[in-house]
Amino acid sequence: MELLVALIIGVLVATGVYLCLRARTFSVVLGLTLLGYGVNVFLFSMGGLKINQVAVVGASADPTDPLTQALVLTAIVIGFAMTAFLVVLALRSQGEQHSDHVDGQDGEQRS
Amino acid sequence: MMLPAIVLLPLLAALLPMFTRHLGRRWCALLVALPVVAALGLLAQASLPIWEGGMQQWSMAWLPSLGLNLALRLDGLALLFCVLILGIGLLVVVYAHYYLPAKDDGGRFYTLLLLFMFSMLGVVTSDNLLFLVFFWELTSLSSFLLISYKQYDSAARKGARMALTVTGMGGLALLAGVLLIGHVVGSFSLSTVLENGALVQQHALYPVILCLVLLGAFTKSAQFPFHFWLPHAMAAPTPVSAYLHSATMVKAGIFLLARFYPVLAGTDLWFYLVTTAGMATLLWGAVWALFQHDLKGLLAFSTISHLGLITLLFGLNSPLAAVAGVFHIINHATFKAGLFMAAGIIDQQTGTRDMRRINGLWKYMPYTAVLAMVASAAMAGVPLLNGFLSKEMFFTETLQSDQLGAMSWLLPLGATLGGVFSVAYSARFIHDVFFNGEPVNLPKFPPQEPPRYMKIPVEILVALCVAVGVFPAITVAALLAVAATATLGGTLPEYHLAVWHGLNIPLLMSVIALVGGIAVYACRRRLFTWYARLPEIDAKRVFEGRIQAVVRLTAGVTRRLQTGSLQGYLAWVLALVAAVLVWQLPNLTSFTGERAMLPVDGVSVLCALMLIAAALLTTVLHRQRMMAIICLSVVGLIVSLIFVRFSAPDLALTQLSVEVVSVLLLMLAMYFLPARAKADSNPLRVSRDAVLAVLIGTGVAVVALLVMTTDTATISPFFLENSVPGGGGTNVVNVILVDFRGFDTFGEITVLGIAALGIYALLSDLKLASAKYDPFGRPWAHDAHPLVLVTLSRPLLPLALMIAVYIFLRGHNLPGGGFVAGLITSVALLLQYVASGVTWVHKRIPGDYHPLVALGVLLAGLTGVGSWVFGAPFLTSTFTHVHLPLIGDFELASAMLFDTGVFLTVVGATLLILANLGKLSMLDDKKETT
Amino acid sequence: MTHWIIAPILIPALAGLLLLLEVRERQQLRRVTGLLSCVALIPVALVLWQQAAQGDVGVYQLGNWQAPFGIVLVLDQLSAMMLLLTAVLALPALLYGCAGDDRRGPNFHSLFQFQLMGINGAFLTGDLFNLFVFFEVLLIASYGLALHGRGTERVKAGLHYVVLNLAGSALFLIALGLIYGTTGTLNMADFAVKAQALEGSDQILLTVAVLLLWVVFGLKAALFPLYFWLPAAYANATAPVAALFAIMTKVGIYAILRMQALAFSDGPLAGLGADLLWWLALVTLALAAIGALAAQRLGGLVAYLVVMSVGTLVAALSLGDPKVVGPALYYLIHSTLICAALFLLCDLLRRSRGDSDDRLESGPPLAHGNWLGAAFFAAAVAVVGLPPLSGFVGKVALLQAVPSAPYWVLLLLAGLAGLVGLSRAGSTLFWRVHGDVVSKKLGRRRVIPMLALLLASPLLTVAAEPLLQLCGGVAEQLADQTIYIRAVLGGAS
Repeated sequence: MELLVALIIGVLVATGVYLCLRARTFSVVLGLTLLGYGVNVFLFSMGGLKINQVAVVGASADPTDPLTQALVLTAIVIGFAMTAFLVVLALRSQGEQHSDHVDGQDGEQRS
Repeated sequence: MMLPAIVLLPLLAALLPMFTRHLGRRWCALLVALPVVAALGLLAQASLPIWEGGMQQWSMAWLPSLGLNLALRLDGLALLFCVLILGIGLLVVVYAHYYLPAKDDGGRFYTLLLLFMFSMLGVVTSDNLLFLVFFWELTSLSSFLLISYKQYDSAARKGARMALTVTGMGGLALLAGVLLIGHVVGSFSLSTVLENGALVQQHALYPVILCLVLLGAFTKSAQFPFHFWLPHAMAAPTPVSAYLHSATMVKAGIFLLARFYPVLAGTDLWFYLVTTAGMATLLWGAVWALFQHDLKGLLAFSTISHLGLITLLFGLNSPLAAVAGVFHIINHATFKAGLFMAAGIIDQQTGTRDMRRINGLWKYMPYTAVLAMVASAAMAGVPLLNGFLSKEMFFTETLQSDQLGAMSWLLPLGATLGGVFSVAYSARFIHDVFFNGEPVNLPKFPPQEPPRYMKIPVEILVALCVAVGVFPAITVAALLAVAATATLGGTLPEYHLAVWHGLNIPLLMSVIALVGGIAVYACRRRLFTWYARLPEIDAKRVFEGRIQAVVRLTAGVTRRLQTGSLQGYLAWVLALVAAVLVWQLPNLTSFTGERAMLPVDGVSVLCALMLIAAALLTTVLHRQRMMAIICLSVVGLIVSLIFVRFSAPDLALTQLSVEVVSVLLLMLAMYFLPARAKADSNPLRVSRDAVLAVLIGTGVAVVALLVMTTDTATISPFFLENSVPGGGGTNVVNVILVDFRGFDTFGEITVLGIAALGIYALLSDLKLASAKYDPFGRPWAHDAHPLVLVTLSRPLLPLALMIAVYIFLRGHNLPGGGFVAGLITSVALLLQYVASGVTWVHKRIPGDYHPLVALGVLLAGLTGVGSWVFGAPFLTSTFTHVHLPLIGDFELASAMLFDTGVFLTVVGATLLILANLGKLSMLDDKKETT
Repeated sequence: MTHWIIAPILIPALAGLLLLLEVRERQQLRRVTGLLSCVALIPVALVLWQQAAQGDVGVYQLGNWQAPFGIVLVLDQLSAMMLLLTAVLALPALLYGCAGDDRRGPNFHSLFQFQLMGINGAFLTGDLFNLFVFFEVLLIASYGLALHGRGTERVKAGLHYVVLNLAGSALFLIALGLIYGTTGTLNMADFAVKAQALEGSDQILLTVAVLLLWVVFGLKAALFPLYFWLPAAYANATAPVAALFAIMTKVGIYAILRMQALAFSDGPLAGLGADLLWWLALVTLALAAIGALAAQRLGGLVAYLVVMSVGTLVAALSLGDPKVVGPALYYLIHSTLICAALFLLCDLLRRSRGDSDDRLESGPPLAHGNWLGAAFFAAAVAVVGLPPLSGFVGKVALLQAVPSAPYWVLLLLAGLAGLVGLSRAGSTLFWRVHGDVVSKKLGRRRVIPMLALLLASPLLTVAAEPLLQLCGGVAEQLADQTIYIRAVLGGAS
């Protein structure tokens, strides 16, 4: 199971990295979101994986690590705030530069 | 206290013109001259012990931890330079009053000139090496400002920049050299360093130190190959040229040679470096001086040549030569300052400095002519004038030196050659300017004698030339003796100052120089023709060209790195990450730890495969935006399933609700972006990015696997144990969020709130042309509020709010909490926007969500501050048990109040973002329909 | 129990929040609120400095949970010094903004306060994940501020800045995950203790984590090859924002210094990743010098000077020698304030040059050219490191403390490049002029904050010895990491 999760993390990070490096703001948003998923799962996995051991007192014999979960929750929220900002910034960039290239029209002309 | 007063008086004087410039130049000059006179008086008094072989010192701690103290020292060498600086400075102050154009009030000029005087006095009297460098750089700066005095003149600006660049570079080298000396000797005190010359010379760093210090000296004193800045510094007003660029500042380098003579001189390396530079400069300056048509140009090159001569003398490693060097410092300062002043008078009276036009001035200004001719004769080394004495000593010393072995004859040969040209250009100065027919087309005609008092400074200097030349023993001998003693750092060799030394080889050399010089001048026409055929080398243009070339080079480097391309920048960052991974991870012996892995089940594998497929599809389809969003949401969904699978229901809930809002956001955004992106990555870039992606992905996966299969003792058992007794909740994750690490959550909702603010700011007055068609080519529906949606959504709102309350309340014990509840509420409210429109919603709830965000964070913050009342730190929680029907038994903790804050912030922020983004499209709709 | 420690976080937070309420609609009230907060931060920082200067490390346990389980704020001399510097910088920057730049977009004052909250939080926190949170606070606020005002260039530079930092945040999380995964803790002091015991594969993982942290902090601090975003972002930001950003790179440097002093100064992990920092910093220094020579605009030139100061500092600090830390801190204070002053000065010039903006080419003559010129000259002398201003003291102190030939050569050459670049810029801007004066107004409300920042340089020079002693004291406290660790974890044992 751990191998599977590691594989998932790897794929999410790799696709995220690849998309971040694309030239269009929308792709970058997609990439950062995927990267965010990957990082969140990574962070989550740092506490070890347990099945059916919810971190609620009294509900499980060997509860899973609650701290990483709390960290991931914070990371998800912050990630959401950042993504939202980036999306709107992409719109702003489109509005001002009339291009969705990450470098504006310069980038468009160059590539 | 006398020493600091001497140095500070010019600084005080520099400030005066600021207050007196409205009184006119006369007052400025007078007020500035007085402190200088006072300083001279003080100097006279301070010098009393020095004549008896003593020394004056003064010091005050400033930066003892750096070894930089305000330490001054007046010995013979410093005294000599102080006399030159203050004395010639005073003459220049007087002279400048008459020289400056009528409309110049002189305020700025005098301020800068006196600032320079202050810096220069500091250089020569410093008893601390770092303090010396301090003043050294100040002289460069004030010289920059004085050369560029005529700031709107391009030549002045370029000349000033060139001087600053070259001398600035030297200053930095000197700083490094001095720091090394301090490192070797263990002190920056000049007095200590002077006593430890042997220590420095035996140290392995000696060659480095020597080169650095010489770099400083040579740049400042315009030694070959750094001489080129000096002729261009002549763009400065002539009083500045007379003062800085012949008498004092350019002597600072020489001063440095003299000052460090006991420490650095005496080695072969010193001999070769200093003598070579000196000889090269001597000859180069002397030859090119002859060919200058500009009066000041001739004097500038002659200055270079004489500086070379002095440098050469110091390089010979013989005490007598050093004495001769010190002597020539005095002589050169007097005759050259006088010559520059004379040149300034001629320039002012004729309106030009071109010697091809200035001829036959003898007729018009005989008095000035006499003064200039005497000074030139001194420059040429004519007997009975001071230049002759030191030049004679120079010739003698070149004959004495045997350090070149069989090649020793080179030195006297070079010296004589230099003498020949020096006579030639002096002859040209005299003959071309004052005789040689009639003036040609002068801008001002006829030239007249200058005002009476303008000539006084020149007269004084010329008188000194004669007095020293005829009666050296009673005029200069004492000063020279103390200065030379201080230079050599102890005993003075035996020497004899006299006009007549009998018939000897040096006298023969003088005669050869005189005759040869006149002969050279006689064939000047042929020489000028030869010179005119030479390719013209304008050092300024060459230098500017070099600088431009450097700028172009740097611009090229910068352009290559600073491409303005985000992809490039990001690739650098990620490449560094990949490099870190590739560098470190191969050291791992195993990719798994000691813990056995959990067994795999079919559903999990299926889900994982779906996720991988969806992630890859997102990548492949990223240009088809609608599809990409769908794939992305599949990924998000499965990620929340992962959380469910591995005992993290809170995460799953949050992930899911965030997913909903994010997708909503992306869809809204997509509406405004071009529906399909062009493919604009070339294969090379694609493969580069793919390599980076695979490297980083693999690295992170390997690391994750290793950590997941390793047991590590963590701090989390504490949370499991203390959640109920300390935090009053059984859902440990929630208790961590609102209690144990509530501060993180406080920061997190602040981030959310700020993001909303930033987004609001970004969206205000944003104008976007929206797409008329959806990604599948269908026109967007214009039916703003479909009836079905309206009917369905309104009853949904209370239902959703109830669910939110439920999730919120149970959060402390079971999965849930303020964040998820907030998102559910927001989605429900957003639905109202979509279904019924902004106007309808805003009639019922206030439309500005800023206060809601603020209130949320404030509530959370105030809950934290509330614990101060109980004498506990920020965010300390208290709790009690409450029973509510339907929901059951739960604890009412102060943390709930905190969680309410979270809830409000989330609702406020989400709505602030999405409602405003939505409004954007509605504005657009309205525009289209009307 | 003193609550003073948390005040530098709560005061701007409170002000930022109040600014979102009713105050939002009223210009003057907004300015007063923001300024009051900034004014208040100075005495608060002084009080904290006073506390820290006594030699004890103050610990504030949030939620009354002991370290390493709860989050702690830790006040040592380094933190206190950084807080004071931030407060001293923020007030003039905001004053300058109040002269009109604050009206060029909504929510300026709020964002400014939140930015301060984030910076102060980063200086105070003793918890790694909390550091991440405060980094995000200061980043998201800085995104808003960087984009404040309008302009295509600004949006483009802002987009680059945001995306790079989002990637940086992801890396930060990976590093934090690894740190938790290997040491099982998030508290900095606890981490410093536990990290020493790691062996085998755990140590390799930790190395990866630390190197990633260096990348993240290097991105904030603007090290090669992570600084490329900075010149455009700073040069295009509104002047008060650019001035405030002068401290932002220093947050990255602070984080590096803090981690290094705590965990990697001695013991088995001494000097972990230091080589990487050293070489990257030297390359940064060289490239910044090159960039400064190539700059076509004054704003860009100043931005490269900021990068230059980063290279200078990180290279020195990477040596991990306590003797270097004192001079480096002095240089840090100097370069922060002077670069901020230069950004404001650059804006004043832009305003006086009309269409010529801050391009280094012939433009209209300047009204009050002499005064502006004098200010520019002083700032240039200070920033290049020539006497008689603070840059010289800082440079001499650093050169004495860092006995390395490449460092000397690069630092001196970079100074020369700065000198050439600034003398070209100055003589072009002030002296190569044509046509008529464009704008006569200079605006006292803009000039005074700029001069106030500039005045820091002579003050730093005059008070150089006590300040160097002070910085030396900070370094001394930092060098003995047991003081910090005992203060934080002492309660647990």
